[in-house]
Amino acid sequence: MPYVIVEPCIGIKDASCIDVCPMDCIHGNESDQMLYIDPEECIDCDACVPVCPVDAIFPADKVPEKWQRYVQINADYFKDKK
Amino acid sequence: MLYMSRKNPQPRSYRIVGPQARVDERETPHPRVQRGELGERLRLWRLQRAGNDPFRRIFGGGGAEADPKNCLQSIMAKVPEGKVNPNPLPVDDPVKMAKDIKEVARFLGATVVGITYLDQAYVYSHRARGIESMGQKAGETIDLPHRYAICMGFASDYKKFLSNNSPISDADYGLGNNHTIPTTFMLAAYIREMGYPARAHHYGRGEVNHMPLAVNAGLGELGRHGMLIHEEYGSRLHLATVTTDLPLAVDKPVDIGVEEVCKYCMKCARTCPSHSISFGGKEVHNGVERYRINVDTCYKYRPASRGEWHNCVICVSTCCYNKPNTWWHTLATKSIKWTPIPLRAFVIVPLLWLDDLIWGKRPWQHMKWLSYDNKPKPMVCTIPGCQAKHKNLIHKRLHDPVPETRAAG
Repeated sequence: MPYVIVEPCIGIKDASCIDVCPMDCIHGNESDQMLYIDPEECIDCDACVPVCPVDAIFPADKVPEKWQRYVQINADYFKDKK
Repeated sequence: MLYMSRKNPQPRSYRIVGPQARVDERETPHPRVQRGELGERLRLWRLQRAGNDPFRRIFGGGGAEADPKNCLQSIMAKVPEGKVNPNPLPVDDPVKMAKDIKEVARFLGATVVGITYLDQAYVYSHRARGIESMGQKAGETIDLPHRYAICMGFASDYKKFLSNNSPISDADYGLGNNHTIPTTFMLAAYIREMGYPARAHHYGRGEVNHMPLAVNAGLGELGRHGMLIHEEYGSRLHLATVTTDLPLAVDKPVDIGVEEVCKYCMKCARTCPSHSISFGGKEVHNGVERYRINVDTCYKYRPASRGEWHNCVICVSTCCYNKPNTWWHTLATKSIKWTPIPLRAFVIVPLLWLDDLIWGKRPWQHMKWLSYDNKPKPMVCTIPGCQAKHKNLIHKRLHDPVPETRAAG
């Protein structure tokens, strides 16, 4: 079950998660609102969760109801990029 | 604090606290990955992971792309077992026989060898794959009524493992796995020709869990990273077993101080790139109290190298017991072993400080071998437009200090 970045990341993009991700599977560019986790590459190691200053990262099956749509948003970000 | 009784010593690095159910081989990592339970991507990776590296292709990492006839593991997984000589040699003295059979095992290629009773708790309950030539089928129950387990360890090359997370260490890891095959085959055949039933359990073919048997046979102790730690060879031993009914004297579990060292060291947990090794205490699983690792994340990390290598072996090579066979290594390990348990921390803490100082917190060496060079290459992100500053695929990061949430867990 991959991890998912949700709404609190918007406008913050602290990027601490990028530093700790062993798979380098968190991506984004300057024009993006937030960062995204590639669900195919994520190994569920949980390393990104404790370092996120705004608690924006959850396992896909534990994303709060109000942010459920971000599971698809993360996946869609990589749809045409591979 | 538990001291080892001289009459009935129990392993200190794991403790039986309840009934143990036999493990179904189909629930071990490789079959789970083959069924796609750890994701479609990993399933495909296992099928297509060979690449063009000839070592990967001959050492059993070839998947569907490599020719199984070029792979010793694939060949030996199909070989039927020979008959037992109907005229058994009499065994008057199991102590002498144990001594002789250990000498034979070493002669045939084992680095270290010990003997224990075959505890049925460590025999798989069902087969994940059957050997056709022996009439076995996947999914059937395993009946292995042998009384003894001859446990063997095959040491990998210390220096090559220091190139960890590279094609060089990966090749040596593959070679170590393959070293288990001829020796166990020959030893089991030798015992059958003596007139006693015997079965080889080696890389790619086996009905037992080698780790607890090796601990019980006194080869070493179970470490925080879930592997055997041997006093001299550290964690770089590949394990294999021959089970038999040949009357043998058994060895006893040893106390070399791993129980105390793993409490303080944490070097494997700090360096594991996939965060699979716990910083916390032991947990109870299937009636056994021991350190648990996250097998799923460890396995899922394998494709991280983009096909250049598959087994990172960072935990093996960073383990503080993993040192060359020198007088100062012997002095360090013996001084831990011979210090009374309540006082061991006073020896271990300074030794660990020295270990970090001399060998580094993340032991690694730049190495060139054949056409391989383990110098980290700059990784290019394959996602178009991505501006993230990726840096972890070169794997030099330490999980230090321990994140608070992790330490609390």
